[in-house]
Amino acid sequence: MTDKPIAEEDYRRLCDYLYRRTGMSVSESRRYFVGRRIAERMAATGSTSFAGYFGRLRGNLDHELEHFVNAFTVNETYFYREDHQLRCLTSDLLPVRLSVRSAHQPIRIWSMPCSTGEEPYSIAIWLLENWPEVDAHNIEIVGSDIDTAVLASAREGVFSKRSLTRLTPQLTDRYFSQIDADRWQICEELRGSVRFSAANVVERNDTRPHGLFDVIFCRNVLIYFDEASRRVAAENLYENLAPGGFICLGHSESMSRISPLFEVCRFSDAIVYRRPLRGAQ
Amino acid sequence: MPLIRSTPSNTPPIEEPTEVNLRSSFADSRWAAARAAEHNPDSVAALAEALGCETDMRVREAIFTALARIRTPECVDAVLPYLRSDDASLRTAAIDVLRVVPKSTGARLVELFADPDSDVRLLSCELARSVDGTEAQRLLISLIETDKEPNVCAAAIEVLSEIGDAAALPPLARCQARFPDDPFIAFAVRAASDRLDTPGDRD
Amino acid sequence: MIERRPRVLVIDDAGLVRLYYRKILEAAGYDVDEALNGLEALERVLEKLPDLAIVDVNMPQMDGFTFLAELRRQPLPAGGIPALVISTESQARDILAARASGANYYLIKPVSESVLKQHVAMLCGIPEG
Repeated sequence: MTDKPIAEEDYRRLCDYLYRRTGMSVSESRRYFVGRRIAERMAATGSTSFAGYFGRLRGNLDHELEHFVNAFTVNETYFYREDHQLRCLTSDLLPVRLSVRSAHQPIRIWSMPCSTGEEPYSIAIWLLENWPEVDAHNIEIVGSDIDTAVLASAREGVFSKRSLTRLTPQLTDRYFSQIDADRWQICEELRGSVRFSAANVVERNDTRPHGLFDVIFCRNVLIYFDEASRRVAAENLYENLAPGGFICLGHSESMSRISPLFEVCRFSDAIVYRRPLRGAQ
Repeated sequence: MPLIRSTPSNTPPIEEPTEVNLRSSFADSRWAAARAAEHNPDSVAALAEALGCETDMRVREAIFTALARIRTPECVDAVLPYLRSDDASLRTAAIDVLRVVPKSTGARLVELFADPDSDVRLLSCELARSVDGTEAQRLLISLIETDKEPNVCAAAIEVLSEIGDAAALPPLARCQARFPDDPFIAFAVRAASDRLDTPGDRD
Repeated sequence: MIERRPRVLVIDDAGLVRLYYRKILEAAGYDVDEALNGLEALERVLEKLPDLAIVDVNMPQMDGFTFLAELRRQPLPAGGIPALVISTESQARDILAARASGANYYLIKPVSESVLKQHVAMLCGIPEG
């Protein structure tokens, strides 16, 4: 079954659905690669026909949409992933924030979901290394996730060599100590500065107590929710953003599939979204 | 180090509005009230009424979200009128709610597909995407066999190209014959037929 | 004179409409990008500036007129790109509304291949022949 190539028109039908549902486009050059992944998912789900599998994908049976997307995107988490957003943070987002609000209150950044901690710790390291004004401000970084097991892992702060691939040896030396052949632990100062909390982005009683943030990173989760959950999550995140605050989505995600509450902003390193400074009209 | 640890006690709370009321003159109060209603099926009537006079976009979105969370058949009645709205975001929000109650929406599809307003019939094709496949296809096929508006037929062909199967092929051909001078219908029928006629569909 | 391939952004919520325009325009020598609502269209414009936007009116999330109004609010060059509205609506008031939002031209669906190519060339500043 995995050897049978996917018919051209079936492939197009699936890609059109994927684009409509998530905003993701698949370039022609990846046609063969994605076709193989479809065949794999068909085998994995026991689908005997394309129509059967496509129905499953459209109905998102057993989270098939997420499985499918994971099959052809690099979805493992690692340090300095999507560093263009980190560049945008220090080049544009923080300066803009500081131009419209008091410099004396702490700058608050939320990584939600934070998974095993690479994202919030990356933000911390990036700021310490790349923001000339970092010493002039108090910065609070919070990482939240629905999964308490990954939170425990994040608090422990132990990572594999693979996870550190994008960091230079100097950064690795500066912020990590090697525990054994394949494990590095992030330094105690960073473990102590980042707060990790359990929270479900769709659950307002979880999100609200976290307060207002200047910047929220919410990557690769909203797009998999159904219409109702997407709307609630977007409203929760809006509520947790200071007016004028920014939210960054995953690389292939777009608010155009999620919510009309935010304004789109183009900076040289990234497209991000913003809660309007004044209430929406 | 400039990094300081956030704690519950050093986190300034998000300000609650002084009143939480769908009829408040303050948008923040109305927003809070709409959000608070999301688990309360008894609030559908109040939400529907508030929707009728709400002008703040954010509050309207929150009302629709609450209805999408409540998910009762009454929510369908509350949002159906907004399929006729001139405002694209209202139509979208109504569709969002209708999509999460596919059974109740499915029960209304026949009447929506027969609506005298061609824009409503057009949007109903969109709704058919999320409803049970066989019934949706039956309704879409019936539309392309009989609807006088080429734009409505085009919308139905679009959805059929995603959810349909080979049973739609003869009706598609007949639809093209009904609009012989329409270059887009010709194209759409061809494209949809190519998709629905692939060997991959057959075991 | 445009020396590289001109770029057209096609904005329509129907995939088959976008495909129809794409096939015609790519064969005629244009590069084509797509968006299915006004919000996505704004992102596309900001990401990669097109030479022309083809704009449908009835789209979810943000319709064509709202998109145009938002577009015209953007600083140049984005705010100044030509916009061709192609809509099902044929009343005079719809055409006026399109103009008021910032459309440069208005066509009524369905648009034939030759009419599309002719108007796209015109609005991209490409001489005939």
